[in-house]
Order: sequence, then C-alpha cells, then structure tokens
Amino acid sequence: MSKFQKFKQSQVFGLLLLIFIAFVFWAIFKTLAPETFGDFNRLQTYLKTALIYAVGGCGLYFICVMGPFDMSVGANIVLSSVIAVKMSNSFGYAGLIFAPMIVGVLVGLLNGLVYIKLRISSLIVTAGLSLVYEALSIFATNEKNVILGTSYRAFGDYPWNLILALFAFCLCGFILKYTKIGTYTYAIGSNEVVAKNMGVNVDKYKVVAFVLCGLFVGIEAVLTISYGTSMTSESNLASMARNFPPLMGTFFGLAFKKYGHPVVAIVIGEFIIQLLFQGFVALGAPTTVQNIVTGIVLLAIVTMTIKPVKGAVVK
Amino acid sequence: MSEILLHAEKIDKNFGVTHAIDHVTLDFYKGEIHALIGENGSGKSTFTSCLTGIYHKDSGEFTLNGTEVNARNQVDGNYQGVAIIVQEIGTLSGLSVAENIFLGKEDEFTKCGVKNTNAMNKKAQELLDSYGFNYIKATDLIDNYNFEDRKLIEIVKATHFKPQILVVDETTTALGEKGRIELFKVMKQTRDDGRCVIFISHDLEEVIEQSDTISVLRDGVYIDTVKSADVTPDDLKKLMVGREMSNDYYRTDYGERVSDEVVLRGEHLTVPGEIDDFSIELHKGEIIGIGGLSECGMHEVGKALFGASYDRKGTVTLADGTQINDIKTAIDHSIAYASKDRDNESLVINDTIQDNICLPSLEELKKNHILHAKDQKVFAEKYAKQMSTKMEGVHQFMSALSGGNKQKVVLARWIGKDSDIVILDSPTRGIDVKVKADIYQLMDTMRKNGKSIIMISEEIAELLGMADRIIIMKDGRQSGEFKRAEDLKDTDLIAEMV
Repeated sequence: MSKFQKFKQSQVFGLLLLIFIAFVFWAIFKTLAPETFGDFNRLQTYLKTALIYAVGGCGLYFICVMGPFDMSVGANIVLSSVIAVKMSNSFGYAGLIFAPMIVGVLVGLLNGLVYIKLRISSLIVTAGLSLVYEALSIFATNEKNVILGTSYRAFGDYPWNLILALFAFCLCGFILKYTKIGTYTYAIGSNEVVAKNMGVNVDKYKVVAFVLCGLFVGIEAVLTISYGTSMTSESNLASMARNFPPLMGTFFGLAFKKYGHPVVAIVIGEFIIQLLFQGFVALGAPTTVQNIVTGIVLLAIVTMTIKPVKGAVVK
Repeated sequence: MSEILLHAEKIDKNFGVTHAIDHVTLDFYKGEIHALIGENGSGKSTFTSCLTGIYHKDSGEFTLNGTEVNARNQVDGNYQGVAIIVQEIGTLSGLSVAENIFLGKEDEFTKCGVKNTNAMNKKAQELLDSYGFNYIKATDLIDNYNFEDRKLIEIVKATHFKPQILVVDETTTALGEKGRIELFKVMKQTRDDGRCVIFISHDLEEVIEQSDTISVLRDGVYIDTVKSADVTPDDLKKLMVGREMSNDYYRTDYGERVSDEVVLRGEHLTVPGEIDDFSIELHKGEIIGIGGLSECGMHEVGKALFGASYDRKGTVTLADGTQINDIKTAIDHSIAYASKDRDNESLVINDTIQDNICLPSLEELKKNHILHAKDQKVFAEKYAKQMSTKMEGVHQFMSALSGGNKQKVVLARWIGKDSDIVILDSPTRGIDVKVKADIYQLMDTMRKNGKSIIMISEEIAELLGMADRIIIMKDGRQSGEFKRAEDLKDTDLIAEMV
C-alpha cells in the first residue's frame, strides 16, 4: 500500500475531507450572497443549530449502526421538551436538564423493549409508539403552546449550549471507543449471529442502543427548547419531520465511520447541512428548491465517501 | 495410552424431526489430533457445536479433565477450555483486529466500565507477532484484510489462550497454502503441549496425514475409532458410507474425441486485479477444468463467463453470437453458475429448499401466467430427491442444512433448469466422499448428454480425474494447458501453478 493510499485511509484525511466540503459550500454561497451569508456572526448561528441536531444525530448513530431505526425521535423531542418546560417551572435548571433526559431514556427503553419483545420491525414499533408519545405531549400541554421561562434559557445560546453539546459529543465518543457498548454496537451491526455466538447479549445491547438514543434525544430537547423557547404538542405523526435533521448528521457519521471519528463527522456534517440551508435562504430560494438541492447534495456526499464495493449488497 | 482429556457421554441433539446426534459417546485423549469424519449431515459439526456453545445439546454430558463443560456460547466455551475455528468467516467487519480477537472478553481490559483500548491493542499485537503474523496490525480495521488473513486472525483468536480442546471445523477448505501451513503448525503445537485438537475435514488424505486418531460418525451415530496409521482412505470411505466404495470415483475414459462445436467463447477477458487477458473456448460435451493456487484468478473466471463480474473487459460469446454481459442474459441462454461462496452467492439462506430450487425456473413453472405452489413443490421435490438431499422436506429452510446438502440444492436447481452450459466453482468443496462420487457421476452423465461444463477447482485430483482439458492459471493469466491423458500427473499441473 502506497503512502498516499495509507493517508487516504487515515483519520486526518477524513477530517480534512469534511472540513474541505464545509469550506467549499461556504465559499460557493459566500461568493453568491456575500452580504447575507457566512460572516462570523452568521456562522455562529449556523453552528448553534447544527449543535442541536448533532446531539440527536449521536443518539441515532447507535441504532443505525446496529441496523434498526428509530422513527420516534421527533415525538421524543416534543414530549421531552414539553416535560422540560413543565419541570423547569417546579425544579428550575435541574428540571430543565434532567427531566427530558429521563423522559428520553424512558422513551428509548420502551422502544427497545417493545422492539425486542414483539420481534417486529423497529420502523413499525417506533412509528406506532410515536403516536403514543405525541398523545402524551398533548395530555401534558392541553394542546396549548408551552413557553420556557426567560430565566431558564441559558442553554439556548453560547457558551452553555456549546458546553452541553460538547458534553454530549464526548460522552458519545467515549461510549463508542472506551466501553463494551461501542464494540458490541459495531459487532451486532456487522453480524448478529456471530456476535451472539461470541457471547454478546444481542437483545440487551439493542435495548441499550435505544436507551442511549433516547438519552441523546433528551439532551437535544434541552437545547431545542432553550433555543426555540416554546413548544407545541403535535399529533398524527406531524413530529416525524423532526426525525430528519438529526438523521442527516447520522448519515455523515455512518459514511465517515471508516475514518474512526463518527462523532466529529456527525457534528461537521450537521454544520454542512446548515451551510446549505442557510445558503439557500440567503439566496432567497424557495423551500422546495432548498429541499431538492440539499437532498441531492447529501446523497452525493455520502455516496462519494462510502464508495460502495461494486456488487456489494446494500440494504 | 495417554489420559482421557475430554469425555463425551451420550450426547444427543435433535433439530425438529432430524436426529442430528444420537447418544454419541466418545473419548478424546491428551496430546492427540483426533479427526472426526463422516458424510455431510452425519453430525460432526453439530457434535462440536454442542461442545463449543454454538448449539445447546438436548442431553448428555461433556467432561473436560473431570469437570463438566456446558458452554452457553463460544466465549463461555473458551473460558471452560474449548475453542473452535469454523469453516466460514467468523470475524466481524467494522471492528478492529484487536476488538475481534478479544470480542466477548473485553472485561479483561475493562476497569469501572472503561475499556483500556491501548492495552487491548498492545496485547493483540503481541499475540499476532508471536504467531509470526506481524504484518497484521492490531489497530487496523479488520475490513482492511483479505479472507485468508482474517482466517489467520481467527486462528489467533481461538488459540491464544491455549484451549484444552481446539476444534478445527472444515477450516482448511477456506485456506490457501500459507494458511494451511500456519493452521497445521498451531494444531501440532496444541498436540505437543499435551492438549487435544478435534479436526474435521472431508479431505481423507489430509485427515490421515494430520491426525493421530480418527472417529467416524454416520447419520448422527458413532461408528468407530481407528488409528490414522492403520487405515487408508478407502477404509475410511467404507466406514463413512457403510459399504464398500468403488474406486471409479472419477471418469475412466481416456482418448474420447471432444466435439469441434464451440458453445461458448471467452476472449481477452480482463477484470482489474483478478484476471488478465484470459481466453477460453468450451466445446459441446466437454468438461474443462480450471485450476491454480487460490488467488490465481480462476474463481473470477467463472463469474466473468457468467456475466457476473464487474469492470469486465473482453467478450463472452455463445455459438449463436449472443454476447453474455449480464447474469440475466446468461441464464436466459441456458448458462448455470454455482459459486464457491455457497452461502453468500449461490443460495438464499433464509428461504426454503423449494424456493431455492425453483428460483431460476419460475418462468417455466408458470401455467397461464400463474405460479402454482403445488407445481413448485413437485418440481423441487423431484430434483432435491434426485440429488439425495437430506432434508425434512422441501419446505425446510436452507440455513438448517449441512454444507454438503446446501451444495446438493445448488446443483438440483441447475439440473432442474436443464442448463446446457454449467460453470461449477469448487463443486465438491466441503462435500463428503459419497456426495462427491454422486456429483462426478452427474457431471459425467451431463457431459455424455451433450452438456458442457467448466469446473473450477483447487483439487488437482479432481481436475485430473474429470476434465477433458485442464487450464492452469497463475497471476490472473493462463500459465498452462493440458489435454486429458492417463499419464498426466499432479506434478505437471503444479509446475505451472507455482
């Protein structure tokens, strides 16, 4: 293997590639809309949004690597945010931070247990339970908009949003690299039967993955409600739309997994997506055009990065 | 006689109505390589799987050094002193080499829930170095290594903790020369340390050469144990199948004229990194054997001719001028292909025998554009029975069949399709002697009926015994060609391979 080939497989290359992609999009939109896009202040705002979604993306990563999927992320965010507001009224910051994490973990636990016990597709399980979580958020709010008190909005802005997000990223990276959970997440995703034969309790670690996803979605809810300051309960699976922004970061994490730092890829990936969205906003492009171009660019980046082996089975 | 190391007492295992192991009682001694042989489906792998924790026995008891072994899974088996190297790939993509070696044993490197990755990597590298595999880096993703290197990593994984019992289950068929040498070295070391190797292989010469003792199972029942030094392959065949096996294993005809009619022509076939400017002409009623070392490119030739290669250059043309560039065209024009990688490339493992046999023949099975389940069942039963497939019925899932019976289903599928050109890659890999004889007989009958066969094989005896013409490949190119002759020797072929 030549030195260049080795470099192309290295962590540094993966990181440089991500930064290069981000720079290219920034440069394109900065050229097209120099006044309304991409100055330092705006970049900070883009990052603020990216951090929120990246935290959820970290949670989804555990599930997506293993193979199942979680369609209840959106409903979880809504429910956790609503509970966060309610609890902050009673317990201050402790309620704001810990209540959504607990709700997230419980939602993840329920998702995981139902998925394991019923032995049906995770898509169906989590979509079905989303209706339940949406209904719970309606009960909690009486279908009214809930607003976070002005004295509890520190996590909506720097530096506390960054600190909380960094805590979540470090936690995710730590679990993946320095605990059995990380190893087993990849092992189950690679070959469940072999993993089982190696003594891995597959069902247990699948539930753990759902719980971790819930925990990170809970943290995302803290950032979401702190940044947006209000939340309205949703019904008829309207919360599904909230599944996709974190998922985009997860795609980046999966695509850059081979470089050994999925968390970094999730964060920079979300930032790239924000650059795209905000770039189109700056250009005044209609939302439909924004969605089309963003979707195509996301597919292009992931396809180019993964470079699937010809003939390999892709599911 | 040395001491008994492992005693198996009345081990019994059923899969549904199939009695896979029938109260087998057997002793394994310290300091021996103990081969376990039998036909496909005789219960060898099931027996060792029960020992190592892959399956759970229904009844009976394994006693290792006087202590009962009751492994819940492979890692639990490791802690109880037993380990297994399996035939198919047993490492996991997405994990590093070190993580694979210590999968399930992370607790050895974990304190307060935190895994010491550096210590794990260091230990894994020390182990790899001690086996002489220092070109394998413990920190690398295992995906960076080829099949054979991954098998070597599995050898380290299964043996580094010096298990009292090491099971080598049909592993040699998956290895090239280098891998086999390494594996045999480890087996001998295990024996010399006073431990025991249970060696499963269908290659009877290899079994006699490598083992000290041989036990025979037939239909899940223990038959006999013999000393390797006292038996010949023919003795073992007799024990395995329960009757005298004739020696007309291979074709006995020589000098038969092969038709001049070319049915398939491959010209200047090139697949980057696999084959380089390879050409071939297959005649009606001819068996062409393609041989060489494992990585010589011969396996890719089968795919290239079947239209299954990616980035293939060159042409594959039938007698009527049809160009074969994709699999559908190949099947539509009566070409069949059985891959070496049965589980991943030939069979739909999570489907029934019936569906697997009927798959390429669905168009023919339609009546008034409608498929009838009864017709499919009759069709599948006919060809599964023709191949003497051991099964509960055609509704049985493929995953429950032994390796040899899976191969029978692959062949049944193409016999059912009545293909005129058949490409068989390693058709007798992991197959017992009786089925081997059946397959050779089938190939001979097909040849006589005007069918043309390309047989890709790593077994020289098979090439010499069955082919009208033998093409030897080296580094992706043809390095030699031989016509069928009585005085053709294995050394002639080997000289062109290396």
